[in-house]
Amino acid sequence: MALVRIDGDDLVVVIEGLHKVWALKSSLTIPLAHVRGATADPGMIAEPKGIRAPGTRVPGLITAGTFHLNGEKVFWDVRDPAKTVVVELADQEYARLVLQVDDPRATVALVENALT
Amino acid sequence: MGRPRAFDEDVAVRAAVDLFGSRAYDGVSVDDLVAHLGVHRNSLYKTFGSKRGLYMAALRRHLADDVRPLVDTLATAADAATALRLITSADLGLLLLAVAERAPADEEVAAEVTAALDAVDRAIADALGIPAPLAAALTATALGLLLRGSSDSVGATLSQRLDLLV
Repeated sequence: MALVRIDGDDLVVVIEGLHKVWALKSSLTIPLAHVRGATADPGMIAEPKGIRAPGTRVPGLITAGTFHLNGEKVFWDVRDPAKTVVVELADQEYARLVLQVDDPRATVALVENALT
Repeated sequence: MGRPRAFDEDVAVRAAVDLFGSRAYDGVSVDDLVAHLGVHRNSLYKTFGSKRGLYMAALRRHLADDVRPLVDTLATAADAATALRLITSADLGLLLLAVAERAPADEEVAAEVTAALDAVDRAIADALGIPAPLAAALTATALGLLLRGSSDSVGATLSQRLDLLV
């Protein structure tokens, strides 16, 4: 699971607990100027993931880490698809982040409010 | 670099107007958008940034395609009955839902719909030569009739009264 917060002009994503191990990442800091939006999207889990490098993928159980698809790099950290939020980025290492958060609605509002 | 866009953005935004205008923002999932707009999920995110980004594009399209022409037509209305009939026969689903659902929670939506409704009010005030508050009341009445659904008899009765006022 990921904790998403706004810290000044940055979006900070902290990967919690064992997810850190699965995703091989403990945190991400993205300037808000490079964040295009956030969307609660339980259906995202059904999308093709591409090639994992590096990370952990057990279909139906966990998708975590960096995945490459169609020339894009996407960061995934999802165990419970119902709590998925997609954060679209611009001019960053990752094209988008697909995160499991505790409260998708609140996380989307937090990010969108920081952008407008 | 990702794949080039394989969809017509213009067509997709117009389809989003219809979808958001019939089901409201919260009633439309990304699955719905992908299914109805013929857009791949990742292309949708890449193009619009988020569901809200697409919604804002759809709302602006609705205001340009549906509300702006209404404003232009209202500017030529000869009487209150005509103005009322023009508004109640317009396709304003997304505007009404935006006012009720999104504007209270989204300042950008609030600014867009307020500007659009102000333009409607001004067109009526100018066309009928009536004070702005009376024009706003006429707009509010018409939108209320649209929300109620069946408006013909109520609208006709109101029109008679309103034309006595102007």
